[in-house]
Amino acid sequence: MLANTADAWGAPAKFFHWTVALLILVQIGLGFAAALWRLSPLKLELFVWHKSTGVLILVLMLARLAWRLANRSPALPPQTPAWERNAAHASHALLYALALALPLSGWVINSAAGVPFSVFWLVPLPSIVAPDERLEEIAKLAHFSLLVALCLVLAVHIGAALRHHLAKRDDVLLRMLPASWRRA
Amino acid sequence: MDPAPSRLEFVATFEKNAAPGVFKEFDTRLARFAPDKPEGAKLDVTVKVTSADMKSGDVNRAIRGPEWFDFAGFPQAEFHAEDIRRVAPGRYLARGVLSLKGAKKELEVPFAWQESANGATMEGELNVERLQFGIGTGEWANGSTIGLGVRVKFNVRLRKEG
Repeated sequence: MLANTADAWGAPAKFFHWTVALLILVQIGLGFAAALWRLSPLKLELFVWHKSTGVLILVLMLARLAWRLANRSPALPPQTPAWERNAAHASHALLYALALALPLSGWVINSAAGVPFSVFWLVPLPSIVAPDERLEEIAKLAHFSLLVALCLVLAVHIGAALRHHLAKRDDVLLRMLPASWRRA
Repeated sequence: MDPAPSRLEFVATFEKNAAPGVFKEFDTRLARFAPDKPEGAKLDVTVKVTSADMKSGDVNRAIRGPEWFDFAGFPQAEFHAEDIRRVAPGRYLARGVLSLKGAKKELEVPFAWQESANGATMEGELNVERLQFGIGTGEWANGSTIGLGVRVKFNVRLRKEG
């Protein structure tokens, strides 16, 4: 089952969700490791991994956004109050926006820093801005602020998913998991 | 030498990418050079190593340090050649010694020579192995993140003197 239906996510939607989720976790760890490591060959390698993963997330998120717009999304349970619907839509929109804005701001940092970079050592990434140390500092601040925002929205997202599963006992979380795990 | 149009550039490799740089300040003197009889000529180049610019603040700060160019200890590099021979019409090879970061190594510098109204242009490029000069020591001596070979390119405008 590829396409989403009224009460289930299709396989591509699940693939995008869990792949990007895993990559974001890895990416946050790589980002802190690269930023905090002392200047050494390992630091440069960590940055190549971090930047490459960021480009991968950006590409996956663009494909995911296209897939989401081309597809219906499963409906929330009918008894869901209006404020929860609004909160769900707003947090999902924010997660998409942040998952796109974080790699883009990283791309600005890399370009403004004037450091040559090839994705996974293979594909040269063009610069989107000219080297500029002031812009680099601004983009770094934006990158970190966006990360803090992402962590906050992720906490809400994960908390809400667990609330659906544990407190409301509906299938909002389960329908993002393999179909065989769903309650009979 | 006319500094305005003269260029001394180098291309290092950084994580398998070309990382270009330039020495903004250098001087070239070529004495007693006759295009059809270059023997007996003398080439002297001085490079202000501290004028290196790799277009990135982070990289420029890193290359100052003792593991790289060591600006404090070795602010100047020199190349002196008194063995210049013609290898083809308009093409020459200068054999001399490059002093860089306290190391002296023999180096062959090929160049093309083109005369103009009030001077001439010397143009060429060569490879320099950075470890021969102790550039990028310690954990940087492994060339996997920063390549070991550096391409050096020059285009020098000389003015006739006296």
